[in-house]
Amino acid sequence: MTSYLLQQIVNGLILGSMYALVAIGFSMIYGIVRLINFAHGDIAMIGAFTALAVMIVAGLPLPVVILAVLVVGAAMGLAIEFVAFRPLRGAPQVNGFITSLAVSILIQNVAILLLTAEPRGVAFPAFLSERIPGLPINIDLVDILIVVLAVALMLGLVTIVNRTRLGMAMRATAENLDVARLMGINVSRTIMAAFAIGSALAGIAGLMWSARYGQIDPIMGFLPGLKAFVAAVIGGVGSIPGAMLGGYLLGLAEVLFVGLLPPEYAGYRDAFVFGTLILVLLVLPNGLMGRAAEDRA
Amino acid sequence: MLEIGGAQVWRGQTHVLHGIDLAVAEGEIVALIGANGAGKTTVLMTICGLLRPRQGAVRYRAAGSSEPVDLARLTPEAIVGQGIALCPEGRQVFASLSVRENLMIGAYLRRDRAAIAADLDHVVSRFPILGERARQPAGSLSGGEQMMLAIGRSLMSRPRLLLLDEPSLGLAPQIVEAIFDILSDINEAGTTMLLVEQNASMALELAHRAYVMETGRVTLSGRAQDLADNPEIRRAYLGAA
Ligand SMILES: Nc1ncnc2c1ncn2[C@@H]1O[C@H](COP(=O)(O)OP(=O)(O)O)[C@@H](O)[C@H]1O
Ligand SMILES: [Mg+2]
Repeated sequence: MTSYLLQQIVNGLILGSMYALVAIGFSMIYGIVRLINFAHGDIAMIGAFTALAVMIVAGLPLPVVILAVLVVGAAMGLAIEFVAFRPLRGAPQVNGFITSLAVSILIQNVAILLLTAEPRGVAFPAFLSERIPGLPINIDLVDILIVVLAVALMLGLVTIVNRTRLGMAMRATAENLDVARLMGINVSRTIMAAFAIGSALAGIAGLMWSARYGQIDPIMGFLPGLKAFVAAVIGGVGSIPGAMLGGYLLGLAEVLFVGLLPPEYAGYRDAFVFGTLILVLLVLPNGLMGRAAEDRA
Repeated sequence: MLEIGGAQVWRGQTHVLHGIDLAVAEGEIVALIGANGAGKTTVLMTICGLLRPRQGAVRYRAAGSSEPVDLARLTPEAIVGQGIALCPEGRQVFASLSVRENLMIGAYLRRDRAAIAADLDHVVSRFPILGERARQPAGSLSGGEQMMLAIGRSLMSRPRLLLLDEPSLGLAPQIVEAIFDILSDINEAGTTMLLVEQNASMALELAHRAYVMETGRVTLSGRAQDLADNPEIRRAYLGAA
């Protein structure tokens, strides 16, 4: 029983790593432009297909695949910012929400047109699915790589945000955009950096998803994206540490819900996730680490 | 140094400035006084590029350069680069950043590390409390300390022209005295100032010249001493009977 529980916790950490990586982007972007990019989950899908193309079609090794996914994810984020968000700067928030939903639907449908809606298997190198020997639970090499890569990327991000000039500009812009401009900060560039970094991380989450579950399709980003958004809200949208915490908590909660309750409840896992959101918001309207409602001019 | 001519400024649908003429010469402290809602903050926001005049010009000539630039054509970032800094109304320090980060972000456009470090020391020697609290989040400072931080932050860009929006707002009289003494020192060290104040008596005491604004227009201007002696000003702004 304990090894069963341990297995569930490990599975939760793996799922949580992916949620956290996607949730960070939701929070970073919201923190600066006060908008939710509903196309954010679709960037994970694009990351997964980029991995497929670079690894299977072009036959390049894993480090190159990871680099390519980071670059393509960042480029997608920049494109979405430029096409959909920049023209709406200063417009009412709801315009941005609706536009990003439209971008999401557009990306999914273009992907279906180009790639068909058929799920595809992605064959990662065989060594990735080798079982780690001598453990009481089942852990494959890929599982370890997912968690290690996620944690490394998050540490890198925290370092950028807290220790660099760009990170300081991002925090200042998130707090007060006009005053940030008065310091000489080019807020357009800061906004672009938030989109690029957040989207690169979402792309990597898509790569991880395909490595772990072996199948990808054009709408694969939708539901996990929505759940990562839930994770960001639980953590306190706008807070990067909150997004990390929310991602891992949600991943653990979802896996434990399915793993510990009788099997007939497994079909309610999505309802459980969104029910958790409602509960958390009832108790903590700003999420676990969010700041109180702000009074920005 | 700065010359605003016939500036007409709208905020949203509201016509706020109805043709403002105002000049600041190198080395001066110029006060801009007037009742709440007269448009003083709007003037400062127009100078630093957060608002754009529909008509009129905002000309600025930095010391040593012969060509004046039209600030109305520049972004706020570029205007900071021209040597103009605003210490905004209500202080507006970055509450979640540390005191030191708030100061460093004032020097955001500068790359001269050694000089930045020297200026940081200089600001801390003017406001020792900022050195003691360097690692605390700025939001944890008291109102007076935040004002000192906001002034220190704007000095970190090495401005030639410092715009101050109601530095006395909400502060105890002794703290206001101390801050005005420091502003006087900063001016003597070579920084030109445009000081917006509702505390007219303090402002007229510190400034060389002053403008009085009412509902988006300049209604009076002259030497600060003359305005302080003007019976109308005394009645309207200095609380004299
Ligand atoms: N964001 C805004 N939109 C529309 N009108 C505004 C806005 N901000 C200020 N105003 C109006 O502009 C006028 C001048 O405001 P302001 O420059 O802040 O005055 P002051 O600094 O002298 O108190 C006021 O009548 C105010 O109501
Ligand atoms: Mg004002």
